Amino acid sequence: MGKIIAVHSYKGGTGKTSLAVNLAASYARRGKKVCLMDLDFRAPSLHALFKDQKAEYWLNDYLNGICEIDKILIDASRDHGNGGKLLVALANPSTEAIRDMTAKDRKWEMKALGRLLSLRSSLLNDSGLDYLILDTSPGLQYSSINAIVTADVVLVVTSLDASDIKGSQRMTRELYDLFEKKTGILINKVIADYLSSKEEQKKFNKYIKSVYSLPILATIPCFCEVLRAAGEFIFSEEKPDHPFTETIEKLATKLEKF
Amino acid sequence: MSYNSVDAENTSRTTTMAAYRKLEVKSTQLLEKIRENLEQLNEKIDVMIEIQKHGQRAIPDSLPEALDVMTLLSLPDHLRKTAVTLCKLEEATANEVAEQTKRARAVESGYLNQLVIMGYMKKERRGRKAYFFVNKEA
Repeated sequence: MGKIIAVHSYKGGTGKTSLAVNLAASYARRGKKVCLMDLDFRAPSLHALFKDQKAEYWLNDYLNGICEIDKILIDASRDHGNGGKLLVALANPSTEAIRDMTAKDRKWEMKALGRLLSLRSSLLNDSGLDYLILDTSPGLQYSSINAIVTADVVLVVTSLDASDIKGSQRMTRELYDLFEKKTGILINKVIADYLSSKEEQKKFNKYIKSVYSLPILATIPCFCEVLRAAGEFIFSEEKPDHPFTETIEKLATKLEKF
Repeated sequence: MSYNSVDAENTSRTTTMAAYRKLEVKSTQLLEKIRENLEQLNEKIDVMIEIQKHGQRAIPDSLPEALDVMTLLSLPDHLRKTAVTLCKLEEATANEVAEQTKRARAVESGYLNQLVIMGYMKKERRGRKAYFFVNKEA
């Protein structure tokens, strides 16, 4: 039975998309069947990475009930499969589509939740997918909460920014807990000084444990070179020996059993 | 005993057996009917209790309400669990919801009926079973 992982955060720019992409690539490298979905309809991003291939329809169309899921899936295995299977579902980046998605009413959102929930049977049960990774929009928005309700596991990406920590704490109490979701924290863009020595690391871990009641699945230092991927290539694919890639691999293993 | 009298005895035994079988079928049917009525009565009582708790304002024919995630968040914990489970199952009996939530069937039946009264769900009776589903026309 496959697993649905939602990658979420309180604030934008925490690195959700980069982590979701690298996580999906990591599972594909392990020979798994993975599908990566862009559920950030306000600011779609995966189309920039998978620009060479086009599907007949967008993920928006699936949620609108215009087509079935097979019409929107792009098979990126040739370039990014690395032994496994990587399917991608893209959000429509046109201004018109973004405007359309932000103007949806509650009734539409309810139906969209139903469409997302039915992916478990169509993708996990029928198509035998091992992982469905949902890249969400930040904060409390319909599309991200729909993704959280659909997921088995929520990976919360947070920086050490005070407002980000406060927001993530609040979401734990008022969102993830309310839906009884298995939730893990990933602290991203940590200043290298905090992890420079064993002592510093100890101090840092103590602080993090005092702030979050949830399990910490990974801590990723701030690597400027990761930014070089600029949403145009998959970093872990290009740099398999980089510490960033190593952390992603460890995270993927932890999430497998989480 | 003459040859003919054996035959007669056999015939009378067959008749008695048939009568017994008929009676058995009839009593089973009767018991099923009683069970069905009791289940319906149970559900009606559940609805009455809910109406009593929440006042007359909430009647089953109230306007349909969308059961979107923001609404799910605003529900009390016990109802949210039932509502999310039904969203996942799309359509289910109280028994099927109870299997997922690991709570008693009677408890789930109460919660589901409460959600029907609130306008978030619909209920349809098919044969002996009552099916609940999310109000898609909301």
